[in-house]
Amino acid sequence: MYKNWRAYVLPFLVLLVLFPFTYLLFLSLSGAWYYPDVLPKYFGLRNWRTILSSETGLLQSFLMSTGISLAVAIVSTLSGFFISKTVYYHPHKRILNLLAYLPYILAPVVFAACLSYFFLKLGLFGNVTGVITAQFLISFPYALIFFSSFWNERIKNYENLVSTLGGNTLDRYFKVLFPLAKGLLLVCFFQTYLISWFEYGLTSIIGVGKVQTITIKVFMFIKEANYFYGALSCCLLIFPPVVLLYINKKYVFKKIA
Amino acid sequence: MFLEVNNLNKKFNKEHVVEALSFELEKQKTLSILGKSGCGKTTMLKMISGLVNPDSGNVFLDGNEVTLLKPEQRNMVYLYQEDLLFPHLTIFENIAFGLRLKKINSKAIKDQVDQMAHSLELHNQLDKMPHQLSGGQRQRVSFGRAIIINPSVLLLDEPFGSLDSGTRQRMQSLFKNLTREYKITSLFITHDLKEAILMGDKIGFMQNGNLHVYESKQDFLNDPTTGVNQEINFWKSLQIEAGSELKNTINE
Repeated sequence: MYKNWRAYVLPFLVLLVLFPFTYLLFLSLSGAWYYPDVLPKYFGLRNWRTILSSETGLLQSFLMSTGISLAVAIVSTLSGFFISKTVYYHPHKRILNLLAYLPYILAPVVFAACLSYFFLKLGLFGNVTGVITAQFLISFPYALIFFSSFWNERIKNYENLVSTLGGNTLDRYFKVLFPLAKGLLLVCFFQTYLISWFEYGLTSIIGVGKVQTITIKVFMFIKEANYFYGALSCCLLIFPPVVLLYINKKYVFKKIA
Repeated sequence: MFLEVNNLNKKFNKEHVVEALSFELEKQKTLSILGKSGCGKTTMLKMISGLVNPDSGNVFLDGNEVTLLKPEQRNMVYLYQEDLLFPHLTIFENIAFGLRLKKINSKAIKDQVDQMAHSLELHNQLDKMPHQLSGGQRQRVSFGRAIIINPSVLLLDEPFGSLDSGTRQRMQSLFKNLTREYKITSLFITHDLKEAILMGDKIGFMQNGNLHVYESKQDFLNDPTTGVNQEINFWKSLQIEAGSELKNTINE
Protein backbone atom coordinates (compact mmCIF):
# COMPACT_ATOMS: atom_id res chain seq x y z
CA MET A 1 0.00 0.00 0.00
CA TYR A 2 2.79 2.33 1.09
CA LYS A 3 4.81 1.44 -2.01
CA ASN A 4 1.86 2.20 -4.35
CA TRP A 5 1.35 5.61 -2.80
CA ARG A 6 5.02 6.48 -3.34
CA ALA A 7 4.94 5.23 -6.91
CA TYR A 8 2.29 7.86 -7.86
CA VAL A 9 3.15 10.80 -5.63
CA LEU A 10 6.89 10.98 -6.29
CA PRO A 11 6.66 11.22 -10.11
CA PHE A 12 3.89 13.80 -9.65
CA LEU A 13 6.15 15.90 -7.40
CA VAL A 14 9.02 15.61 -9.87
CA LEU A 15 6.70 16.74 -12.68
CA LEU A 16 5.51 19.63 -10.52
CA VAL A 17 9.09 20.81 -9.98
CA LEU A 18 10.13 20.31 -13.60
CA PHE A 19 7.00 21.84 -15.18
CA PRO A 20 7.96 25.56 -14.82
CA PHE A 21 11.38 24.91 -16.34
CA THR A 22 10.00 22.84 -19.23
CA TYR A 23 7.31 25.41 -19.85
CA LEU A 24 9.91 28.21 -19.89
CA LEU A 25 11.92 26.32 -22.49
CA PHE A 26 8.73 25.70 -24.52
CA LEU A 27 7.81 29.40 -24.37
CA SER A 28 11.32 30.45 -25.40
CA LEU A 29 10.94 28.31 -28.55
CA SER A 30 7.47 29.68 -29.32
CA GLY A 31 6.14 32.69 -31.24
CA ALA A 32 2.78 34.18 -32.27
CA TRP A 33 0.75 32.30 -29.65
CA TYR A 34 -2.58 34.08 -29.30
CA TYR A 35 -5.85 33.25 -27.65
CA PRO A 36 -7.73 30.96 -28.37
CA ASP A 37 -4.94 28.90 -30.08
CA VAL A 38 -4.04 25.81 -28.09
CA LEU A 39 -0.55 25.69 -29.55
CA PRO A 40 1.71 28.49 -30.84
CA LYS A 41 1.74 29.29 -34.58
CA TYR A 42 5.55 29.26 -34.58
CA PHE A 43 7.74 26.76 -32.80
CA GLY A 44 11.49 26.80 -33.46
CA LEU A 45 14.82 28.39 -32.74
CA ARG A 46 14.01 31.91 -34.03
CA ASN A 47 14.09 33.51 -30.56
CA TRP A 48 17.36 31.83 -29.71
CA ARG A 49 18.92 32.97 -33.00
CA THR A 50 18.16 36.57 -32.05
CA ILE A 51 20.51 36.19 -29.12
CA LEU A 52 23.39 35.85 -31.55
CA SER A 53 22.08 38.61 -33.83
CA SER A 54 22.42 41.09 -30.92
CA GLU A 55 18.99 42.53 -31.72
CA THR A 56 17.96 42.28 -28.08
CA GLY A 57 21.41 42.44 -26.51
CA LEU A 58 20.70 39.28 -24.53
CA LEU A 59 24.03 37.66 -25.33
CA GLN A 60 25.91 40.79 -24.21
CA SER A 61 23.81 40.87 -21.03
CA PHE A 62 24.55 37.21 -20.40
CA LEU A 63 28.29 37.70 -20.86
CA MET A 64 28.29 40.89 -18.80
CA SER A 65 26.35 39.18 -15.98
CA THR A 66 28.80 36.27 -16.07
CA GLY A 67 31.74 38.70 -15.82
CA ILE A 68 30.16 40.72 -13.00
CA SER A 69 29.18 37.62 -11.01
CA LEU A 70 32.59 36.00 -11.46
CA ALA A 71 34.33 39.19 -10.29
CA VAL A 72 32.00 39.55 -7.29
CA ALA A 73 32.28 35.86 -6.35
CA ILE A 74 36.09 35.71 -6.61
CA VAL A 75 36.70 38.97 -4.72
CA SER A 76 34.07 38.26 -2.04
CA THR A 77 35.20 34.69 -1.42
CA LEU A 78 38.89 35.52 -1.14
CA SER A 79 38.46 38.71 0.88
CA GLY A 80 35.85 36.99 3.07
CA PHE A 81 38.29 34.15 3.76
CA PHE A 82 41.22 36.38 4.71
CA ILE A 83 39.26 39.06 6.58
CA SER A 84 37.22 36.48 8.54
CA LYS A 85 40.55 35.24 9.90
CA THR A 86 41.47 38.74 11.07
CA VAL A 87 38.00 39.08 12.62
CA TYR A 88 38.40 35.73 14.43
CA TYR A 89 41.64 36.88 16.09
CA HIS A 90 40.27 40.38 16.85
CA PRO A 91 39.43 41.12 20.51
CA HIS A 92 36.03 42.54 19.45
CA LYS A 93 35.15 39.74 17.04
CA ARG A 94 31.55 39.44 18.30
CA ILE A 95 30.76 43.08 17.49
CA LEU A 96 32.47 42.81 14.10
CA ASN A 97 30.50 39.66 13.25
CA LEU A 98 27.29 41.41 14.28
CA LEU A 99 28.11 44.35 11.99
CA ALA A 100 28.38 41.92 9.07
CA TYR A 101 24.61 41.33 9.33
CA LEU A 102 23.84 45.05 8.85
CA PRO A 103 23.42 45.01 5.02
CA TYR A 104 20.73 42.33 5.42
CA ILE A 105 18.62 44.39 7.82
CA LEU A 106 17.67 46.75 4.97
CA ALA A 107 15.93 45.77 1.74
CA PRO A 108 18.45 45.89 -1.16
CA VAL A 109 16.59 48.80 -2.80
CA VAL A 110 16.67 50.85 0.42
CA PHE A 111 20.32 49.88 0.92
CA ALA A 112 21.10 51.05 -2.63
CA ALA A 113 19.23 54.32 -2.07
CA CYS A 114 21.36 54.93 1.04
CA LEU A 115 24.55 54.25 -0.92
CA SER A 116 23.60 56.17 -4.06
CA TYR A 117 24.99 59.52 -2.82
CA PHE A 118 28.46 58.03 -2.24
CA PHE A 119 28.40 56.17 -5.55
CA LEU A 120 27.47 59.40 -7.34
CA LYS A 121 30.34 61.26 -5.67
CA LEU A 122 32.79 58.47 -6.53
CA GLY A 123 31.66 58.31 -10.17
CA LEU A 124 30.43 54.76 -9.76
CA PHE A 125 26.86 55.42 -10.86
CA GLY A 126 25.70 53.72 -14.08
CA ASN A 127 28.81 51.67 -14.80
CA VAL A 128 29.94 48.06 -14.36
CA THR A 129 32.52 48.93 -11.66
CA GLY A 130 29.75 50.55 -9.60
CA VAL A 131 27.51 47.49 -9.95
CA ILE A 132 30.38 45.14 -8.97
CA THR A 133 31.14 47.35 -5.94
CA ALA A 134 27.47 47.47 -4.91
CA GLN A 135 27.03 43.72 -5.25
CA PHE A 136 30.29 43.18 -3.37
CA LEU A 137 28.83 45.15 -0.45
CA ILE A 138 26.07 42.53 -0.25
CA SER A 139 28.07 39.38 -0.93
CA PHE A 140 31.18 40.21 1.13
CA PRO A 141 29.35 40.19 4.51
CA TYR A 142 27.82 36.87 3.48
CA ALA A 143 31.30 35.43 2.84
CA LEU A 144 32.54 36.90 6.14
CA ILE A 145 29.73 35.22 8.09
CA PHE A 146 30.16 32.01 6.06
CA PHE A 147 33.87 31.65 6.92
CA SER A 148 33.57 32.73 10.56
CA SER A 149 32.85 29.10 11.51
CA PHE A 150 36.00 27.86 9.75
CA TRP A 151 38.47 29.57 12.08
CA ASN A 152 38.90 27.93 15.47
CA GLU A 153 41.57 26.84 17.94
CA ARG A 154 42.31 23.67 15.94
CA ILE A 155 43.04 25.65 12.76
CA LYS A 156 45.26 27.98 14.79
CA ASN A 157 47.13 24.92 16.10
CA TYR A 158 47.58 23.65 12.53
CA GLU A 159 49.10 27.01 11.57
CA ASN A 160 51.41 26.95 14.59
CA LEU A 161 52.47 23.39 13.79
CA VAL A 162 53.36 24.30 10.18
CA SER A 163 55.41 27.24 11.51
CA THR A 164 57.40 25.09 13.92
CA LEU A 165 57.92 22.50 11.17
CA GLY A 166 59.64 25.27 9.19
CA GLY A 167 56.81 26.61 7.01
CA ASN A 168 56.36 30.30 6.18
CA THR A 169 53.09 32.20 5.64
CA LEU A 170 52.70 31.00 2.03
CA ASP A 171 53.26 27.38 3.11
CA ARG A 172 50.61 27.78 5.80
CA TYR A 173 48.05 28.97 3.26
CA PHE A 174 48.88 26.86 0.22
CA LYS A 175 49.85 23.58 1.90
CA VAL A 176 47.34 23.53 4.75
CA LEU A 177 44.69 26.27 5.03
CA PHE A 178 43.47 26.30 1.40
CA PRO A 179 43.32 22.48 1.14
CA LEU A 180 41.45 22.32 4.48
CA ALA A 181 39.00 25.02 3.39
CA LYS A 182 38.68 23.83 -0.23
CA GLY A 183 35.08 22.62 0.08
CA LEU A 184 33.99 25.76 1.93
CA LEU A 185 35.77 28.02 -0.57
CA LEU A 186 33.93 26.37 -3.46
CA VAL A 187 30.53 26.55 -1.73
CA CYS A 188 31.10 30.21 -0.84
CA PHE A 189 32.17 30.96 -4.40
CA PHE A 190 28.96 29.37 -5.76
CA GLN A 191 26.74 31.11 -3.22
CA THR A 192 28.21 34.58 -3.80
CA TYR A 193 28.05 33.96 -7.55
CA LEU A 194 24.32 33.26 -7.19
CA ILE A 195 23.78 36.29 -4.92
CA SER A 196 25.34 38.47 -7.61
CA TRP A 197 23.64 36.67 -10.52
CA PHE A 198 20.10 37.15 -9.19
CA GLU A 199 20.66 40.62 -7.67
CA TYR A 200 18.06 43.08 -9.01
CA GLY A 201 17.32 45.93 -6.57
CA LEU A 202 20.88 47.20 -6.09
CA THR A 203 21.82 46.65 -9.74
CA SER A 204 18.83 48.55 -11.11
CA ILE A 205 19.48 51.58 -8.86
CA ILE A 206 23.29 51.73 -9.09
CA GLY A 207 23.28 50.67 -12.76
CA VAL A 208 20.53 53.23 -13.58
CA GLY A 209 19.44 51.19 -16.60
CA LYS A 210 22.87 51.52 -18.25
CA VAL A 211 24.19 48.26 -16.84
CA GLN A 212 21.71 45.69 -18.12
CA THR A 213 22.46 42.40 -16.47
CA ILE A 214 20.45 39.33 -17.44
CA THR A 215 18.21 39.75 -14.36
CA ILE A 216 17.46 43.34 -15.36
CA LYS A 217 16.69 42.13 -18.91
CA VAL A 218 14.22 39.51 -17.62
CA PHE A 219 12.27 42.17 -15.70
CA MET A 220 12.39 44.46 -18.72
CA PHE A 221 10.84 41.83 -21.03
CA ILE A 222 8.23 40.97 -18.42
CA LYS A 223 7.33 44.67 -18.09
CA GLU A 224 7.07 44.89 -21.88
CA ALA A 225 4.81 41.79 -21.82
CA ASN A 226 7.23 40.13 -24.29
CA TYR A 227 6.88 36.78 -22.63
CA PHE A 228 8.65 34.82 -25.42
CA TYR A 229 11.84 36.84 -24.91
CA GLY A 230 11.12 36.87 -21.18
CA ALA A 231 11.05 33.06 -21.17
CA LEU A 232 14.23 32.94 -23.25
CA SER A 233 16.10 35.27 -20.90
CA CYS A 234 14.76 33.26 -17.96
CA CYS A 235 16.30 30.15 -19.56
CA LEU A 236 19.61 32.01 -19.75
CA LEU A 237 19.10 33.21 -16.18
CA ILE A 238 18.65 29.74 -14.74
CA PHE A 239 21.29 28.06 -16.91
CA PRO A 240 24.38 29.00 -14.79
CA PRO A 241 22.67 28.19 -11.45
CA VAL A 242 21.70 24.75 -12.80
CA VAL A 243 25.29 24.13 -13.90
CA LEU A 244 26.58 25.30 -10.49
CA LEU A 245 24.02 23.12 -8.71
CA TYR A 246 25.23 20.14 -10.72
CA ILE A 247 28.91 20.87 -9.94
CA ASN A 248 28.01 21.41 -6.27
CA LYS A 249 26.28 18.06 -6.07
CA LYS A 250 28.85 16.13 -8.07
CA TYR A 251 32.07 17.47 -6.59
CA VAL A 252 31.70 19.76 -3.59
CA PHE A 253 29.22 17.99 -1.33
CA LYS A 254 30.88 14.65 -2.01
CA LYS A 255 34.20 16.11 -0.82
CA ILE A 256 32.70 17.80 2.24
CA ALA A 257 30.92 14.56 3.22
CA MET B 1 74.33 24.09 27.89
CA PHE B 2 72.34 23.31 24.76
CA LEU B 3 69.10 25.06 25.72
CA GLU B 4 69.23 28.04 28.09
CA VAL B 5 66.17 29.96 29.21
CA ASN B 6 66.92 33.15 31.15
CA ASN B 7 64.40 35.09 33.19
CA LEU B 8 61.38 34.70 30.85
CA ASN B 9 58.29 36.72 31.77
CA LYS B 10 54.82 36.85 30.28
CA LYS B 11 51.68 38.67 31.36
CA PHE B 12 48.16 38.20 29.98
CA ASN B 13 45.68 40.92 31.03
CA LYS B 14 48.01 42.12 33.80
CA GLU B 15 48.21 38.58 35.21
CA HIS B 16 51.66 37.01 35.43
CA VAL B 17 51.45 33.65 33.64
CA VAL B 18 55.20 33.04 33.51
CA GLU B 19 57.47 34.84 35.94
CA ALA B 20 61.28 34.92 36.08
CA LEU B 21 61.53 31.50 34.47
CA SER B 22 65.07 30.18 34.04
CA PHE B 23 66.47 26.73 33.40
CA GLU B 24 69.05 24.86 31.35
CA LEU B 25 68.99 21.59 29.45
CA GLU B 26 71.82 19.47 28.11
CA LYS B 27 71.87 18.13 24.56
CA GLN B 28 70.06 14.81 23.94
CA LYS B 29 68.31 14.94 27.32
CA THR B 30 64.61 15.02 28.14
CA LEU B 31 63.22 17.33 30.79
CA SER B 32 59.82 16.22 32.12
CA ILE B 33 57.70 19.09 33.37
CA LEU B 34 54.87 18.61 35.84
CA GLY B 35 52.45 21.19 37.12
CA LYS B 36 48.81 21.97 37.72
CA SER B 37 46.52 23.26 34.95
CA GLY B 38 46.97 26.99 34.34
CA CYS B 39 50.41 27.18 35.95
CA GLY B 40 51.97 28.45 32.70
CA LYS B 41 53.46 25.25 31.20
CA THR B 42 51.94 25.70 27.72
CA THR B 43 52.82 29.42 27.63
CA MET B 44 56.41 28.54 28.54
CA LEU B 45 56.67 26.00 25.67
CA LYS B 46 55.08 28.47 23.24
CA MET B 47 57.56 31.18 24.23
CA ILE B 48 60.50 28.80 23.73
CA SER B 49 59.15 27.76 20.31
CA GLY B 50 58.51 31.39 19.29
CA LEU B 51 54.72 31.01 19.00
CA VAL B 52 54.23 33.52 21.84
CA ASN B 53 56.50 36.50 22.38
CA PRO B 54 57.85 36.92 25.91
CA ASP B 55 57.53 40.32 27.63
CA SER B 56 61.16 39.96 28.69
CA GLY B 57 63.90 37.37 28.98
CA ASN B 58 66.05 35.37 26.57
CA VAL B 59 66.22 31.95 25.00
CA PHE B 60 69.58 30.57 23.84
CA LEU B 61 70.01 27.50 21.68
CA ASP B 62 73.48 26.03 21.40
CA GLY B 63 74.93 29.38 22.48
CA ASN B 64 72.95 31.48 19.98
CA GLU B 65 70.13 33.78 21.05
CA VAL B 66 66.85 32.79 19.36
CA THR B 67 64.46 35.00 21.38
CA LEU B 68 63.59 37.24 18.43
CA LEU B 69 63.59 34.55 15.73
CA LYS B 70 60.34 33.44 14.07
CA PRO B 71 59.13 29.91 14.92
CA GLU B 72 60.08 28.64 11.43
CA GLN B 73 63.68 29.78 11.97
CA ARG B 74 64.23 28.07 15.35
CA ASN B 75 64.09 24.40 14.32
CA MET B 76 62.06 23.55 17.41
CA VAL B 77 58.92 21.51 16.80
CA TYR B 78 55.93 22.00 19.08
CA LEU B 79 53.71 18.92 19.41
CA TYR B 80 50.18 19.22 20.74
CA GLN B 81 48.06 16.73 22.65
CA GLU B 82 46.03 16.33 19.44
CA ASP B 83 47.95 14.58 16.66
CA LEU B 84 46.95 17.31 14.13
CA LEU B 85 47.62 15.13 11.09
CA PHE B 86 46.75 16.91 7.86
CA PRO B 87 43.50 15.22 6.77
CA HIS B 88 44.06 15.93 3.06
CA LEU B 89 47.45 14.16 2.94
CA THR B 90 48.38 10.47 3.07
CA ILE B 91 50.45 9.13 5.96
CA PHE B 92 53.54 9.23 3.71
CA GLU B 93 52.93 12.89 2.86
CA ASN B 94 52.19 13.74 6.49
CA ILE B 95 55.55 12.33 7.60
CA ALA B 96 57.30 13.94 4.62
CA PHE B 97 55.67 17.36 5.25
CA GLY B 98 58.64 19.03 6.96
CA LEU B 99 61.10 17.58 4.44
CA ARG B 100 59.04 18.95 1.54
CA LEU B 101 59.14 22.40 3.20
CA LYS B 102 62.93 22.11 3.20
CA LYS B 103 62.74 21.28 -0.55
CA ILE B 104 64.73 18.05 -0.19
CA ASN B 105 64.77 15.86 -3.33
CA SER B 106 62.10 13.18 -3.71
CA LYS B 107 64.49 10.20 -3.57
CA ALA B 108 65.97 11.33 -0.23
CA ILE B 109 62.46 12.04 1.11
CA LYS B 110 61.30 8.53 0.18
CA ASP B 111 64.34 6.92 1.84
CA GLN B 112 63.96 8.95 5.03
CA VAL B 113 60.19 8.42 5.27
CA ASP B 114 60.60 4.66 4.71
CA GLN B 115 63.24 4.48 7.45
CA MET B 116 61.07 6.52 9.82
CA ALA B 117 58.02 4.38 9.02
CA HIS B 118 60.01 1.28 10.01
CA SER B 119 61.09 2.90 13.29
CA LEU B 120 57.44 3.74 13.98
CA GLU B 121 56.18 0.31 12.79
CA LEU B 122 54.00 2.08 10.25
CA HIS B 123 55.56 0.81 7.01
CA ASN B 124 52.30 -0.84 5.90
CA GLN B 125 50.20 2.27 6.52
CA LEU B 126 51.96 4.84 4.32
CA ASP B 127 49.32 4.95 1.58
CA LYS B 128 46.41 5.33 4.01
CA MET B 129 44.66 8.54 4.97
CA PRO B 130 44.81 9.76 8.62
CA HIS B 131 41.18 8.86 9.37
CA GLN B 132 41.98 5.22 8.62
CA LEU B 133 44.43 4.96 11.55
CA SER B 134 43.86 4.40 15.28
CA GLY B 135 44.64 7.08 17.89
CA GLY B 136 48.00 5.52 18.79
CA GLN B 137 49.04 5.14 15.16
CA ARG B 138 48.09 8.74 14.44
CA GLN B 139 50.19 9.94 17.39
CA ARG B 140 53.12 7.90 16.06
CA VAL B 141 52.78 9.58 12.66
CA SER B 142 52.74 12.94 14.43
CA PHE B 143 56.02 12.02 16.19
CA GLY B 144 57.56 10.81 12.94
CA ARG B 145 56.58 14.02 11.14
CA ALA B 146 58.33 16.05 13.86
CA ILE B 147 61.44 13.90 14.35
CA ILE B 148 62.20 13.37 10.65
CA ILE B 149 63.26 17.01 10.22
CA ASN B 150 65.84 16.51 12.97
CA PRO B 151 64.68 19.34 15.26
CA SER B 152 67.09 20.92 17.71
CA VAL B 153 64.49 20.63 20.46
CA LEU B 154 61.18 18.78 20.54
CA LEU B 155 58.53 20.49 22.66
CA LEU B 156 55.80 18.09 23.73
CA ASP B 157 52.64 19.43 25.34
CA GLU B 158 50.94 16.43 26.99
CA PRO B 159 51.37 14.31 23.84
CA PHE B 160 49.79 11.17 25.31
CA GLY B 161 46.99 12.93 27.19
CA SER B 162 44.23 11.67 24.91
CA LEU B 163 45.38 8.02 24.68
CA ASP B 164 44.08 5.02 26.64
CA SER B 165 46.45 3.55 29.26
CA GLY B 166 47.63 0.60 27.11
CA THR B 167 48.41 2.75 24.08
CA ARG B 168 49.99 5.31 26.37
CA GLN B 169 52.43 2.74 27.75
CA ARG B 170 53.39 1.59 24.25
CA MET B 171 53.87 5.21 23.16
CA GLN B 172 56.06 5.95 26.19
CA SER B 173 58.35 3.07 25.34
CA LEU B 174 58.37 4.06 21.63
CA PHE B 175 59.26 7.64 22.55
CA LYS B 176 62.13 6.47 24.74
CA ASN B 177 63.48 4.37 21.85
CA LEU B 178 63.11 7.23 19.38
CA THR B 179 64.90 9.73 21.65
CA ARG B 180 67.84 7.30 21.84
CA GLU B 181 67.82 6.43 18.10
CA TYR B 182 67.47 10.00 16.82
CA LYS B 183 69.39 11.70 19.70
CA ILE B 184 66.54 14.05 20.57
CA THR B 185 66.59 16.91 23.07
CA SER B 186 63.09 17.48 24.43
CA LEU B 187 60.83 19.20 26.92
CA PHE B 188 57.99 16.90 27.91
CA ILE B 189 54.92 18.32 29.66
CA THR B 190 52.71 15.81 31.43
CA HIS B 191 50.16 15.61 34.24
CA ASP B 192 51.11 12.02 34.98
CA LEU B 193 53.69 11.53 37.74
CA LYS B 194 54.72 8.08 36.56
CA GLU B 195 55.09 9.30 32.99
CA ALA B 196 57.24 12.25 34.14
CA ILE B 197 59.58 9.92 36.02
CA LEU B 198 59.73 7.40 33.16
CA MET B 199 60.28 9.85 30.33
CA GLY B 200 62.56 12.49 31.82
CA ASP B 201 66.30 12.45 32.40
CA LYS B 202 65.48 15.37 34.67
CA ILE B 203 62.22 16.48 36.23
CA GLY B 204 60.90 20.00 36.66
CA PHE B 205 57.91 21.16 38.65
CA MET B 206 56.08 24.31 37.59
CA GLN B 207 54.15 26.42 40.04
CA ASN B 208 52.76 29.96 39.70
CA GLY B 209 54.62 30.58 36.45
CA ASN B 210 57.97 29.45 37.76
CA LEU B 211 59.86 26.24 37.01
CA HIS B 212 62.03 24.39 39.49
CA VAL B 213 64.29 21.76 37.92
CA TYR B 214 65.48 19.10 40.37
CA GLU B 215 69.10 17.95 40.44
CA SER B 216 68.06 14.32 40.68
CA LYS B 217 64.89 12.23 40.66
CA GLN B 218 65.41 11.55 44.37
CA ASP B 219 65.30 15.32 45.11
CA PHE B 220 62.02 15.47 43.24
CA LEU B 221 60.58 12.54 45.21
CA ASN B 222 61.68 14.11 48.51
CA ASP B 223 60.08 17.51 47.82
CA PRO B 224 56.76 17.69 49.73
CA THR B 225 55.35 20.47 47.50
CA THR B 226 55.14 18.21 44.43
CA GLY B 227 52.55 15.87 45.96
CA VAL B 228 54.60 12.79 45.02
CA ASN B 229 54.72 11.52 48.59
CA GLN B 230 50.97 11.87 48.94
CA GLU B 231 50.53 9.74 45.84
CA ILE B 232 53.01 7.12 47.03
CA ASN B 233 51.28 6.98 50.43
CA PHE B 234 47.91 6.58 48.70
CA TRP B 235 49.08 3.52 46.74
CA LYS B 236 50.84 2.09 49.82
CA SER B 237 47.68 2.41 51.94
CA LEU B 238 45.68 0.76 49.17
CA GLN B 239 48.18 -2.09 49.11
CA ILE B 240 47.99 -2.51 52.90
CA GLU B 241 44.18 -2.45 52.76
CA ALA B 242 44.12 -5.08 50.02
CA GLY B 243 46.61 -7.19 51.98
CA SER B 244 44.57 -7.11 55.21
CA GLU B 245 41.38 -7.94 53.29
CA LEU B 246 43.12 -10.96 51.79
CA LYS B 247 44.34 -11.98 55.28
CA ASN B 248 40.78 -11.76 56.66
CA THR B 249 39.42 -13.88 53.82
CA ILE B 250 42.05 -16.56 54.46
CA ASN B 251 41.29 -16.53 58.22
CA GLU B 252 37.56 -16.93 57.57
